[in-house]
Amino acid sequence: MHSGPSKTAEAIVAVFIPPACREEALGDLHERYISPGQYGLDASRTIPLVIVSRIRRTADPQVLLMQALAWYASFLGAAWLNDRAFLSEPWGLPRLAIPAAMAMLGLTLEDAYAKPGPRSPLDLARGPLLGVGLALASQGMFRIGNPTLAVPTWIMLYGCAIGLLLSCAVRMLFPPATDRLQGAKVPADWLKQSGGPPGSPEAGMRAVQGVAAVVVTLLLILLIAYQVWQTAKKG
Amino acid sequence: MPIDFISDLPYNVGQMAKLDSLGQFEQLVLTAILSLREDAYGVTIHSKVQELARPKAVSLGAVYVTLDRVEDKGLVASWMSDPTPERGGRAKRCYRLEALGERALQESAVTAKRIWEVIAEVWGKEWAKE
Repeated sequence: MHSGPSKTAEAIVAVFIPPACREEALGDLHERYISPGQYGLDASRTIPLVIVSRIRRTADPQVLLMQALAWYASFLGAAWLNDRAFLSEPWGLPRLAIPAAMAMLGLTLEDAYAKPGPRSPLDLARGPLLGVGLALASQGMFRIGNPTLAVPTWIMLYGCAIGLLLSCAVRMLFPPATDRLQGAKVPADWLKQSGGPPGSPEAGMRAVQGVAAVVVTLLLILLIAYQVWQTAKKG
Repeated sequence: MPIDFISDLPYNVGQMAKLDSLGQFEQLVLTAILSLREDAYGVTIHSKVQELARPKAVSLGAVYVTLDRVEDKGLVASWMSDPTPERGGRAKRCYRLEALGERALQESAVTAKRIWEVIAEVWGKEWAKE
């Protein structure tokens, strides 16, 4: 008689596998089952790579860069509006990057774990909302563990609100790869290239947007590096 | 207007003809799919790749990553089979080589054959037989 993993073990493993590849990955792990220990080890070795592969398929580097810029600019703008002195504090600018990075993590994971197929505009807001949740949770943990790394509450709240709006707007303009219908036998990589063939006006516009995002990001990095250098010089 | 200049198409003909060279692990995965024919899915591909790559250990996750990548490149196509009881009632994702994949594998094999011939010539046929 063929033995398999317990329903509980399979349910736990299923939670971590993105829905788009859950069926085949769970089936393969079931087929390879020898003992509970081997199943756990096999799953723990396989799942991280399955998640990485799914992220690679769903993430568009240009859009991710735009999103990162939108989130960081939101927190920067919120600090500028609420507490300008915070920007000149030691590690002020790098601290603003922490909630932005957490929001990006939320967005990326939401896209990787989204069910394939078209999504409504309301569904598109799930990623930014998860990002806001992770950003706020990380700040809560910093307040308990290391308050020097925490960002002031009002900056966080304003930043999250602006970031949510900007991020949703970017997602509506550039929908995630999971939202585009995939025809039978059409490679996903080609479908991801919504900008049209090289040399077309759409591809040109997308390239200009990408370059602009990179230039602004580089300027921000230079600004942060300058502040870190100034802080180190004073110390 | 030529078909490859119509931007409304999901991909253009120029991209279809482009052929990237394969990495070593990609060659192993494509060879496994080729040899397994109708029975190429995650578990069997992993076993075959492990057999081809011995004594190196290969993880199932690495095979999944490569399968996704070669599918994105248009080298293989996949489809879901019917669920089977030995898999806990879950379906398999089966793979088969596309024409582009066959061409890429053929080019890799020709290059490997040339390398093999040079090595056999320099180090001797006896070494090559080992």
